[in-house]
Amino acid sequence: MSFLGPIPLAVFAWIALGAGALAVSAYIIKMRRRRFEVPFTRLWKRVLEQKDANSLWKQLKRLISLLLILLILALVLFAALDPTLGAVSREARSVVVLVDASASMKAMDGDEGGKKSRLDAAKERTKALIDSMGGGDLALIMKVDGQATPMSRFSNDAPMLGKIVDGITASDTPADLTRALGAAADALRDRPNPLIVLVSDGAFPEQQLGLVTWTKTGEPVPAAPKAGPSAGTGTTAWNTKNLAAVDLSSIDVRYLPVGKRSDNVGIIAFNVRRYIANKAAYEVYVEIQNFGSEPAHRRLKISNGSNPVDTQVLDLAPGQRIHKIYAKLPASDDNKLRASLQPMEGAGGSDVFPLDDEAYALLPARKKQKVLMVTEDNLFLEGALLVYDNIDPTKVTPGEYDAKPALADGMDVVIFDEHTPAVVPPPPASLLYFHPTGENSPFKVTGESPNPHITEIDEGHPVMRWVSMSDVFMDRSNVFSVDPKRGESTIAYYVRDPVIVAKRDGKRKVLAFGFSLPSTGREGATDLPMRVAFPMLLVNTLDWFAGDTTDLLTTYATGQRQRVPLDGVVGATEAEVKDSAGVTTRTPVLDGLATFYASHVGYYDLAAKTPDGKTLAQIELAANLASTTESDIAPSTELTLGGKKLDAPEAFAITRSQKLWIYLILLAMGLIIVEWVTYHRRITV
Amino acid sequence: MVRPALSGAFKAIRPDAPPKKNRAEDRSELFDEKFLKTLEHLHMVSRKVFAGNLRAERRTRKVGSGIEFADHRTYSRGDDFRYIDWNLYGRLDKLLLRLFEEEEDLSIYILVDVSDSMSIGTPLPKLHYAMQVGAALTYVGLANLDRVAIIPFAGKLIDRMPPARGKNRIFRVFEFLRNCDIGGQTDLASCMKTFVTQNKRRGLAVLISDFYDPEGFEQGLNTLRYNKFEPFVLQVYDKREAEPNLHGDLALVDCETGETKEVTISKSLLEAYTAEHEKYCKEIEAYCTKYAMPFFRTHTSIPFDELVLKIFRSGGFLR
Repeated sequence: MSFLGPIPLAVFAWIALGAGALAVSAYIIKMRRRRFEVPFTRLWKRVLEQKDANSLWKQLKRLISLLLILLILALVLFAALDPTLGAVSREARSVVVLVDASASMKAMDGDEGGKKSRLDAAKERTKALIDSMGGGDLALIMKVDGQATPMSRFSNDAPMLGKIVDGITASDTPADLTRALGAAADALRDRPNPLIVLVSDGAFPEQQLGLVTWTKTGEPVPAAPKAGPSAGTGTTAWNTKNLAAVDLSSIDVRYLPVGKRSDNVGIIAFNVRRYIANKAAYEVYVEIQNFGSEPAHRRLKISNGSNPVDTQVLDLAPGQRIHKIYAKLPASDDNKLRASLQPMEGAGGSDVFPLDDEAYALLPARKKQKVLMVTEDNLFLEGALLVYDNIDPTKVTPGEYDAKPALADGMDVVIFDEHTPAVVPPPPASLLYFHPTGENSPFKVTGESPNPHITEIDEGHPVMRWVSMSDVFMDRSNVFSVDPKRGESTIAYYVRDPVIVAKRDGKRKVLAFGFSLPSTGREGATDLPMRVAFPMLLVNTLDWFAGDTTDLLTTYATGQRQRVPLDGVVGATEAEVKDSAGVTTRTPVLDGLATFYASHVGYYDLAAKTPDGKTLAQIELAANLASTTESDIAPSTELTLGGKKLDAPEAFAITRSQKLWIYLILLAMGLIIVEWVTYHRRITV
Repeated sequence: MVRPALSGAFKAIRPDAPPKKNRAEDRSELFDEKFLKTLEHLHMVSRKVFAGNLRAERRTRKVGSGIEFADHRTYSRGDDFRYIDWNLYGRLDKLLLRLFEEEEDLSIYILVDVSDSMSIGTPLPKLHYAMQVGAALTYVGLANLDRVAIIPFAGKLIDRMPPARGKNRIFRVFEFLRNCDIGGQTDLASCMKTFVTQNKRRGLAVLISDFYDPEGFEQGLNTLRYNKFEPFVLQVYDKREAEPNLHGDLALVDCETGETKEVTISKSLLEAYTAEHEKYCKEIEAYCTKYAMPFFRTHTSIPFDELVLKIFRSGGFLR
């Protein structure tokens, strides 16, 4: 028998002594009796005289009561020591069970009938492992998918651990074995007889399987490759590998394989992009691979929303990978694109891993923008806009606009050339100003800078994409005051003076150039329209107004933490991510970039919000498995980790131990009830 | 541990609590005059025949002007001719005089124990019960033109309501019982000794008590017997006295002597006490039976009217 209680025995002895003394003194101290008036004590005397003959028994009964209390006390104190039957063996181990819950574990080959998944089989094997644990063994369950999640503390409570194992669900992400092994090694640090058991189908990238070091403490570290003429990059790679490697020295790692079948055909890449020149059209890229060892047949269906785009039958040889490009597809109102592999009848027509048979992509919404130019005939401006197919331009003079501002109603963009009206169209119409002045300027004008030139631009801003302004000449330019707290930002400086500024104003965007475009009768202009940068600036600006950036990727891989640009959003600290099942999570936003982690394939809504809950920007994202490692569901019966082949776990050869405290407490409670009953029945008093 | 509240004949007292007013002292609602009407046709039965002073409804040894024939005797000079039995003279040729029983009154003494032990009882203190029974018997006596005296006692004869006749005196009886002093330690022997000394006219002595006398009940009863009184013994007790509902460690205080006895109440002890109480009552009954004294035992749970109308009649005390 061993005692696992946290109290040192010496302290415990003092506590026991004190408690015992208290109990005994409680029996010694004469009880103050309640007084009751009776009519005739002579009768009581006569009775008590007869009873006194039994006084020895009476004292004995009281002694029994005392002994009963001392016994109860002893049982409780003994239970506090956490006595355990069956001595804790020196072989008792600390076990971390890594349960692979990655996407490949959703393969439905856990049993012959295809009704159980690999994860179900893994759970059964894990529970069998837990049941075979000895009483001294402590186990921690850790779920391994794109993250490593400890599901329990170290415990030997097999039913509780079994319940935790039952609660594990697979995600749609690849497994991050390195992270899981690192977490397990950290959990096992300084614990006796550490053991890691990996219950998995072995679907891990080779790179992760190599990021392990088995070097025991005290042993010489393997020498780095000798430096030589061509050893420079090799040495760096070696150092990087060893720094990232998980130290599993002194830890026994075992592998429990699950999974049976390997036939699978999956979509391993699916994306879509607009053409830069014609944003009303797009093209789709899809890549499919047959991971099985037999020929396979599938029907590939591409659809845009509910509209089918293309359907074709694919015949894939074993291991064959094909890619298809669907070019110049016309845009529609629905921006959701979906590729699916549909099973076919006959041999090789279906597989056990449906997760990678579906892929999703999003096309940034696009439509022709209505642009109103408020300008006296400006050939430079009108000419530059004419080259852009995706707009529908209209022109009015400043006088006409001032007379009737409603002319701008329904416009997507209004360009004010050398005119700063008091009345501007309401959001969501975006505004572009050239040389705004006066109190109606959307940005406060703090002064004028003569002969400025652009010294610095915000290359990260969508407006400045592919634009160089280093040799642009200007006679003069207004200098603006920019308040970042109001969402204003500078995208071009003359030294420190903001000369091109932009901001979000609720649902619309505003951009202002501090200088004038050249025009008839206008002094103090710029040669910007003569540069190639000018049409680029205008196209970028109109694209930015439309929320359309060709750099924006809307399709991401599951299990990877991504930084998603929020279109220049300033002031947001966190964003809400809502998945296709309607589950909402929160993610931080830093420097206009939201962290995005998809645990399931499908569409996501990401909304950036201010601290007071106001939505600043909202984008849609799609997540796909896109992992050849996970799609290659062929189970590995053997696993080599860091060059070492992992063995199957042996049966735990430790005698089963039994916790006694619960029985002791139950016994004590039983005795308390006996004492209570006997007291009230006047048996022990 | 939570224990059930004690109730009944035993009163919990705080160790240093000031003496409370005795509950038995409130006797304002003691008597039900309507009920007394139902007692009018009852008579107390006296087994002995006592000589009375006044004409009443009791048979006496005197032969006189009653209506019930008693005997014949030889005529002597001066006898009233009206009582000569002329029929016998015709048959026997002898002058014989018819004798009739003369009816006289009976002296009834209602002795009520008003000691402290009688003040205990639930829902009615024994004292109230005893006074109600005493008043009822008094009314029966008064209605039958007997001379009824009420004498409350404890350690001594506390007071005395002089003998009265006629049922119109019942209200004086009520008033006396309501206002008489109560309390004290029971001394039956001393009280009976005083009683027989003060009352030379023999009669029926109805003794109503719980007989909780530390010195014993025998001496008092013997005193009545030896002095030619006819004792009628009524023991009143509270059912909770006989079967107390007590728990735990207690200090039992005698309400009369103040004597304290520490006990730990157990089931067996309660059973032993109940048996002892029963044994004590049986002792009184056996003693009375042995010396031909009518004995009744009642507890306060028996309705007062049931005791008077049924039990006394069936026991031959009333008719």
